[in-house]
Amino acid sequence: MAAKRKQPSRDEDPRTEATTFRAPVETLEMLSDDEGPEEDAASDDGQVDEFPEIDAASDSEAEDEVDEEGSDEEDFEEEDSDDSLDRDIFPKPKTIISDITGQPKRVYPEIEPDYDSDSSTEDAPNRVGDVPMHWYDDLPHVGYDMDGKKVLRPARGDELDKFLQTVEDPSAWTSAFDKTAQMDRPLSAEELDIIRRLYANEVPDAGYDPYEPMTEFFTGKGKEEVMPLSAAPEPKRRWVPSKWEKQKVMKIVRAIRQGRIIPSKPKTASKLEFYAIWSEPSTSHAPPLPAPKPRLPTNSESYNPPEEYLPTEAERAEWEALDPEDREHDYLPKKHSALRLVPAYDRFIKERFNRQLDLYLAPRIQRVKLNIDPSTLIPKLPSPQSLKPFPNYKSLKFTHSGRARCISISPDGAWVISGDENGIVSLWEVNVGREVKRWKFEGKIGALEWCPRTDVSYFVVGIEEALHFVIPPNLSSTVLLLTQSVLAPTTLPPAPETPSPVKWVTPPTSSWSPDTAILTVQLPQSSGLPKQIAWHRRGDYMATVSSGGTQGGVWMHQITRRHSQAPFKKIRGAVQLVLFHPLKPHFFVATQQYVRIYNLSEQKLLKTLTPGIKWISSMDVHPSGDHLIVGGYDRKLCWFDLELSDKPYKILRYHTRAIRSLAFHPTYPLFASSSDDGAIQVFHSRVYNDLMTDPLIVPLKILRGHTVKEGLGVLQVKWCARQPWLVSGGADGTVGLWCS
Amino acid sequence: MGRLRAKGKAGAAKAYVTRTSAIKKLQCSLADFRRLCILKGIFPREPRSRKRANKGSSAPTSFYYAKDIAYLAHEPVLKKLREHKAFAKKLSRALGRGEWSDAKSLEDNKPVYRLDHIIKERYPTFIDAVRDIDDALCMVFLFASLPSNARLPPSLIENCSRLAAEWQLYVMHTRALRKTFLSIKGIYYQAEVMDQTVTWLVPYQFTQSIPADVDVRVMLTFLELYQTLLGFVYFKLYTDSGLVYPPPLDVKKDEGGAGVGAFSLQSTSQSAPSAPPKVRAVQIEGRTISGKDVRQAIKSMAGVDSEVDGDVDMQNPDSNPMEVDEEFVPQPSTSDPHSAASLTTLKALAALPQSLTTSLFSPYSFYLSRETPRPIFEFIVRSFGGRIGWPASSGSGSPFEESDESITHVIIDRPVVERADESSEERERRLRRKYVQPQWVVDCINAGKILLEEPYTQGKTLPPHLSPFGEYEGAYDPALGLTGQTAQESESEDEDVVIPEADEEEGEGQLAEKTALRAAADANDAASLRAAELAAEVAGVDYGTFEKEVRKSRKKSKAAPEDGAEEGEQDMNKMMMSNKQKKLYEKMKYSQKKKASERETLEEKKQLLQKQKRREAKAG
Repeated sequence: MAAKRKQPSRDEDPRTEATTFRAPVETLEMLSDDEGPEEDAASDDGQVDEFPEIDAASDSEAEDEVDEEGSDEEDFEEEDSDDSLDRDIFPKPKTIISDITGQPKRVYPEIEPDYDSDSSTEDAPNRVGDVPMHWYDDLPHVGYDMDGKKVLRPARGDELDKFLQTVEDPSAWTSAFDKTAQMDRPLSAEELDIIRRLYANEVPDAGYDPYEPMTEFFTGKGKEEVMPLSAAPEPKRRWVPSKWEKQKVMKIVRAIRQGRIIPSKPKTASKLEFYAIWSEPSTSHAPPLPAPKPRLPTNSESYNPPEEYLPTEAERAEWEALDPEDREHDYLPKKHSALRLVPAYDRFIKERFNRQLDLYLAPRIQRVKLNIDPSTLIPKLPSPQSLKPFPNYKSLKFTHSGRARCISISPDGAWVISGDENGIVSLWEVNVGREVKRWKFEGKIGALEWCPRTDVSYFVVGIEEALHFVIPPNLSSTVLLLTQSVLAPTTLPPAPETPSPVKWVTPPTSSWSPDTAILTVQLPQSSGLPKQIAWHRRGDYMATVSSGGTQGGVWMHQITRRHSQAPFKKIRGAVQLVLFHPLKPHFFVATQQYVRIYNLSEQKLLKTLTPGIKWISSMDVHPSGDHLIVGGYDRKLCWFDLELSDKPYKILRYHTRAIRSLAFHPTYPLFASSSDDGAIQVFHSRVYNDLMTDPLIVPLKILRGHTVKEGLGVLQVKWCARQPWLVSGGADGTVGLWCS
Repeated sequence: MGRLRAKGKAGAAKAYVTRTSAIKKLQCSLADFRRLCILKGIFPREPRSRKRANKGSSAPTSFYYAKDIAYLAHEPVLKKLREHKAFAKKLSRALGRGEWSDAKSLEDNKPVYRLDHIIKERYPTFIDAVRDIDDALCMVFLFASLPSNARLPPSLIENCSRLAAEWQLYVMHTRALRKTFLSIKGIYYQAEVMDQTVTWLVPYQFTQSIPADVDVRVMLTFLELYQTLLGFVYFKLYTDSGLVYPPPLDVKKDEGGAGVGAFSLQSTSQSAPSAPPKVRAVQIEGRTISGKDVRQAIKSMAGVDSEVDGDVDMQNPDSNPMEVDEEFVPQPSTSDPHSAASLTTLKALAALPQSLTTSLFSPYSFYLSRETPRPIFEFIVRSFGGRIGWPASSGSGSPFEESDESITHVIIDRPVVERADESSEERERRLRRKYVQPQWVVDCINAGKILLEEPYTQGKTLPPHLSPFGEYEGAYDPALGLTGQTAQESESEDEDVVIPEADEEEGEGQLAEKTALRAAADANDAASLRAAELAAEVAGVDYGTFEKEVRKSRKKSKAAPEDGAEEGEQDMNKMMMSNKQKKLYEKMKYSQKKKASERETLEEKKQLLQKQKRREAKAG
């Protein structure tokens, strides 16, 4: 407000400014004070009403009125004195004619700055201060006055009185309860005005104008500073030409003179000029590999191809169903009757882009293109016709009721015994296939083997937990006697010092008959079915492998001593097969994945062969003892050269199902394998004495004739000792004889 | 035992780096790395063992040779790219601050990389470069046909079309075009330049739009390289054949849509007298003097030759056939001694013995109907020495009008329409000329001789258009017809159809004949054959059928059992193959079988079509 009173052309003392600003601040304080005594408030009424008007007037007068420093001081005094007279009312100014300017001016009563001048502490008889008044709730007084006397609680009527008062007193609705005085006090006009303004969402201060025009104190027209702020003299650098600038400019000038900087350089840098780039000799670097050229178009890409290139409906559908990456050609042949009808190729840019992606993102490998006839890859082997004899047709068939699991051929090659799963063992002649005798055993026949000795004749039948030694009929008396003396000698050999769990039982001589076994070896309890019987070549020792039992189920039996022992205290892995070396005191043991070779005389491990088969099913050793073939359920056949390595020399995989049985011919260079695919493979296998020459393996013949039953094919093959004949037993219950 | 080696210190782990580590090493962005790879021709490699190259990890990554990346680290272009990065920052700052003059001077001194050293590096000899311009040509021809937009500035398109035109000019000038193929994708051309076959594909003249899944940045980077490469290659090609590079462009003709005709070839022998300094001079001039200046200089020089205007290489087309070979822009004008002299020098410079096929069309003049694409046929015909004219609607610069008497062929691609209001003169002209469809021109080139016009005349159903590039060996050849085996089968099938009818008619006698023939079929040795022959004679079979029957049966018997035995043995021997060989064998057999089956399906289709046609012919 006061600021508006300033004359724009005049310089003003900032001090006056500050003082003039104080007036409204004070009024504000007074207005916010609601402790005015009621008698004053009543007398105030008229003046209070005037107050805003003065305020407004001062606003409107702002520009005409002129203040002076001297009068301002008076202002203060007057204001104060006025204030002391009638307390909390704004001091009333007097308008007088200034003796300096001759203009009318308002003069406020001077404020007397003594202790009483503060109106806020003026009356209030109750001097308890700002304490919670409920402390006095139970007391007859409400506080103490300045002299320490009790201020008694004013009498308060009951509700009815209160109501009557509100009805009678017209000012009752503008009064509020005063806690300190414990009575109703009418609100002053200013307070009411504040309430009204608060209701109306206005600024509560009546004297505040939110839209005051801006007052320019220092800026604006005519207010520019003309006097310098500092009296320091102008520095030299403001008017002496810069040395450094000169140096910089001279540098450029020199560069221009020397031609290092061309002032108006023509902008031709963007255009590359071509020159004879290949006229200079090239570097010694080898040129990078040229990118492969794209495929040249074929007839089918023509706009007018021969009609046979056009795709049929099925081909078109197939092409469209494929993913674009899987398509053999990226287009479908189409025929246009004239060149003008050929449309644009929609994938042109895409194909160019793909080519470029190939050029910079695809790894390139330089491949030698093999331009050979695939048939040259097949090894050249001698014709099977030149490697005769070998079995190539089925000459006989012998039928069992159950699966013919095991076969054995007598050492002279004239008789065959075959056993099936129903416990039947049949003896029949090789030449005519006539059954001579039949034995019936309890349970499955696990293994059958003829003793390799030629001076005696008997065979061993392995059934559940027992081995039966049986003498075939129709033997010459000398052979029979010798056999009987071997199997059931009159004087039994002395019992071994360590008792064996295996019992050798011979029935009494009186009960001997051709139908029963002459000797029975009872294997220990729960040893299961003997899976294999392997004879030593001399015919005295015999090894059996049982499906269960301790020590891998391997037992070594000696006929002359009627004694059995387990060669291994413990063995790693489940033993599948065992074999005696044909010449040396070596013993082959095939576990599930490895073949171990033991020296029996020194009782130590010689070698471990790793065929790489998951599960070994069959094994046979070459008559020379230097080669071993191992077959597995995973269709692999491994040929080991024992002199060469622990790894197979050759791995063959030709059967479509698991290999079941393998057999080397004792005299002819032949071996055969049988499989669950129902086929028997006959190979020529020539082994050379020369260590440098690899063995020659020639596939000769695939013999088919067994039917596959319940997933099982040919279960065992055996060779006749003196002829290139093969006997095979199948899961279909037939035993076949294959002749050359 | 050798020295122990730490893992990852030698071998594949050192020789290969992954893309991420390459970028880290080069300290550039992926986009810059890609650009460098494109420009330098560096591509990922497939290590023998990905695991070994990637320190035991088998994650899918692309590998680069560590040496390649080491070379990249010293690449000047990489340096320029880094400078460009700094420049971009500076420019954006200047623009942000509104410092326009700074921005302008920055823009003026923008770092620009040059690619000539890369060209020299990637193609140490000129032959290497020519061998590799296939892709470059394809791209340039494609971009020449694209519409310009924000990504493709008009200057780029213009430059591409200039490069395309210059290539066509060179090919036409040296008669290097060998084969052309109209395919559904576009037109394949094959030229022989510096004993290298160059094949390029030109799209048909339609507006192409770049699909959304194509990264234009990659294409533009390639194009950048290709433009530079082609520039250098052309320079060498042009200067080697004694021409000025770049060939001056006649702006007026170009605006008239003259296409390649807007450029005029100029021999350097005119501008420089001796050969060795000639190249030098041209280089200097090429750098400093614009095409216009050259043209003016040449004009002033040629001013002596009274009427000749600028173009050096124009002669009278009718003067003699050899001159026709040499001529480039044939315009009827009187020959003068000076142009004849220039002709000899051109001849000496070209020094290429041209066979008959390259001047295949030299005796003929062609006229293009307005619906045939002019650029294609102008290029083809002129590459083979023919003269060609076109209506004004196909562009300006036609050397002769439609009414020209020398026109021998009209290339027309619309159905025959009878015209009622035909003047006698027009009629006479129509009868004198041959109206052929465009395919005739292309087929003539591919055949290397002038084919009969008859199957290609206007409105006829065209014979199939075959690829001149051939297919793999043993593929189905539609031109040869059916091969032996299947053809015979079809024959026999036909016979089978016929025989039953004959049987019914002849009855008894036929039976005897049949038994005789069967005896012949079964006969193996000479004696029994003789007996069978006699029996056949008795039965009344003529000697021809007997022979045929014997041959057939022999073939059958030979094919069946012996093959079977052989096959069996082979099958058994396959057991003895190693696993690797077996896989290779199976693969080869598979591809052979696939090829054979492809061939068979095509032959079957052809047979079906033939039968159908025969049936239709019978019915009709």
